[in-house]
Amino acid sequence: MAIISFTLSEEGMGIFHDALGCISKFADEVCLEARKDKLSLSSINLSKSTYVCIDFAANRFFSAYSFQGQGQTREKFHCYLTIRALLSIFRPRIGADKDRESTVERVDVSADDGPGIKSRLIAKIFCRNGITATHALQFEVRNAVHASFREEEACNHWTISSRTLRQLMDHFGPGIELLDINVEGENVVNFTCFTEKAARTAEDATVLKKPLHTSIAVEIDEFDNIQLPEEHHIVINVKDFRNILQHAQITSGELSASYSDLGRPMRLTYHRDGVACKFILMTVLKDALPGLKTKKGVRNNQARPQLDAAAPPASDKPGVSAVGNSRPAAEASRTEPKVQQKTPVRPQRQSQFQIRPPPLPPASTLRSDSLFVTQDNDDQMWEPVNPEEDEDAEDIGRLEWDPNHVGHMNAPEIPMHALTLSPRTHPKEGSSATLPLAPRKPRTRNRRTWPRCLSPAWNPPRDYRRFASLASFRRDRERTVSCGGVLLDGHRITIVG
Amino acid sequence: MRFKTELKNIRVFSKLITAISALEKITWVRMDDDQVRFTVIPAVGSQVWATFAMDAIFENYHIQSAEPSNTINLELPIGPLQRALRSAISSTSASVRLTKRDGIPVLSFTIHTTTHDPSAPGGFNAGHATGGYDDDDGNFPAEVSLRGHEREKIITHDIPVRVLHPDIVEGTMQPNAREPDVHIRMPPLLQLKAISDRFTKLASTSNTSSRGAVSTSSPRLELSANMHGQLKLRIATDSLDVESTWDKLEHPELDPSHFDYPIEEHNCMRFKAAGPDKWATVRVDGKDWSRVLGVGRLDGRVIACFSNDNALILYVYVPQLEDAGGEESVVTYYVSSYSA
Repeated sequence: MAIISFTLSEEGMGIFHDALGCISKFADEVCLEARKDKLSLSSINLSKSTYVCIDFAANRFFSAYSFQGQGQTREKFHCYLTIRALLSIFRPRIGADKDRESTVERVDVSADDGPGIKSRLIAKIFCRNGITATHALQFEVRNAVHASFREEEACNHWTISSRTLRQLMDHFGPGIELLDINVEGENVVNFTCFTEKAARTAEDATVLKKPLHTSIAVEIDEFDNIQLPEEHHIVINVKDFRNILQHAQITSGELSASYSDLGRPMRLTYHRDGVACKFILMTVLKDALPGLKTKKGVRNNQARPQLDAAAPPASDKPGVSAVGNSRPAAEASRTEPKVQQKTPVRPQRQSQFQIRPPPLPPASTLRSDSLFVTQDNDDQMWEPVNPEEDEDAEDIGRLEWDPNHVGHMNAPEIPMHALTLSPRTHPKEGSSATLPLAPRKPRTRNRRTWPRCLSPAWNPPRDYRRFASLASFRRDRERTVSCGGVLLDGHRITIVG
Repeated sequence: MRFKTELKNIRVFSKLITAISALEKITWVRMDDDQVRFTVIPAVGSQVWATFAMDAIFENYHIQSAEPSNTINLELPIGPLQRALRSAISSTSASVRLTKRDGIPVLSFTIHTTTHDPSAPGGFNAGHATGGYDDDDGNFPAEVSLRGHEREKIITHDIPVRVLHPDIVEGTMQPNAREPDVHIRMPPLLQLKAISDRFTKLASTSNTSSRGAVSTSSPRLELSANMHGQLKLRIATDSLDVESTWDKLEHPELDPSHFDYPIEEHNCMRFKAAGPDKWATVRVDGKDWSRVLGVGRLDGRVIACFSNDNALILYVYVPQLEDAGGEESVVTYYVSSYSA
């Protein structure tokens, strides 16, 4: 008998896939943790700034669920799997011509482990046409790492429609890194985006390369269950937030946030029947926000060194099962009571669970952004032709204004783990990337084909007025030809009543 | 220097900016009491000089500067402008003003908008249409009223700009091509673009297959027109030669008051007299041409002026703006021709 076995319906598989898809935005591996009453998927990103945990209730989400823990696994069973493999197993299968026969009816998943037993996760996919596909995945058993969140500390909270929030995020342009959620005015919560670069490129020459600065004011009435002090700021990573919202929107109607202050974690939760999603994001340290301060005319250049000093020790990699055990006992004893797992999270969470604004947003941002942008679909046909079909290069080329992307024209997919961890190298890269883009002025070029004369700008012979029929065009549109009760009006045909 | 206005015709404005964003990243904006002009001069490729009446896209505007006619010259990045306008499209109201933030001049957009919820149960209208709610679903009306009270959100976008000194602007010249040989009203640009793009792709693939390597230069399309209602688009490479012809196109009349010589002496009359085999031809870069044709999204009437072997000028008259009181709302594209 396998330790854990469960069955997913077709719909359940879709939800499971969405959850995995969401987690995959943060990490490559997922920790599957099974208990009697629930199955959890959790992960923490490499920079340990974001923790995600999605719980599936045993009795409500699954068609069948059984947990037979023994010995070591009496309480719970956990293992690590690569998300990519899981994603392809649980991917939605759409049959040709929407042929229901080839769609999936259910999935049986089981996992077993122990002495003399092969450690495999087996997924059997039953299709309606009678085909059964069996996948066996290797997994690694090691302790789960969970982030902790102190409920009593997080006195600020609000709840809002996840759709509304996502639509608001659509208004932010590309190339932004941080989102400041603040209360400054009366009865208004502001969502303001900015990048760290904004503060550094103040010289005239680079002014035009600054990203769009956007702020959205939302009335407090729009939130439910809101409690925020006055003059309060909290700053989070935009990319993570967008990824979360994307999943939140398809999963649930409402999203709740609770947090305390800058540099302390923020928790975002939403749920649907049988599924509970929880994210813990590290918010940006106050000192690391020169941008925030410049707004008030104060600069603080010491923020980065402090960040560095607080960087986690190298051994402190996520997923290292020895994290807890290798720590001195004294420190382990200081572990907060609320830690969910035996792997302790140090009280000094700034170091354990450290965010720094990810230095280089992956170049694929453009792609993911487009998910959030109201696309004028009809507009597609007016896009310039691109004969070489190298869409990536073209698309990213179009983002040239964003210095973030400049260095990465040929690296469309930089996974999260490729982000440089040292914050010190980042500004340099950023600024050097901006250099090649010299400011441009309106200018004329000696273009071979404008050989004759150039009129001084805006005193040109107004050539466009030369057509007498300009006026006649207008008459054209008004002129209609009567034709047996039908008026032919250019391209339109109007029936006369 | 002051500038403050409310926006109108945002959709058209936004389309214009999207069209020109294909060509350049920065635009030069010149505004005065009566007109606003957007100019795009890429290092390589076609230029755009667009002129709109202030009334066409601005409402209740206030402009003031030390220069004659209260002229203000700005340089601004097109990408952020495009983004700001996109937020403004579905707004209830939008205004713009020139101001400073952290000592940097910015065009500040203030947009009042509501988020809409397409999946919400249709708001109040749906309720009235069906004649009420199901009685057994007590929560439903409450939810609808919650959605109905959707609050207005205020979005501010600050676009960094550079205020240009008149001296800098002085040196910028608008191209002035030779007197055209043929002027003709273009067929629907969507059609023309679809075929042009097809040709461009054809040429790139045929180059690749015949030479085994992608040629570095973009394919050259040959565009010709005569004074007998015909327009011809042709692509010729080593291995293929394709052309498409439109006919029954219109030739707008010239206004004699704009010429200091009789119309009969104009080039186009010579071309007309020479018959339908007298073509004025230009060779354009396939990719650049495709970017130019993006202006079709404005749905304007387009007149092309061909100077044989020299240049092509497109005048795009934007009907929505003309109707809105902007008599002179014209986007002019200067497309240069490669020599044969």
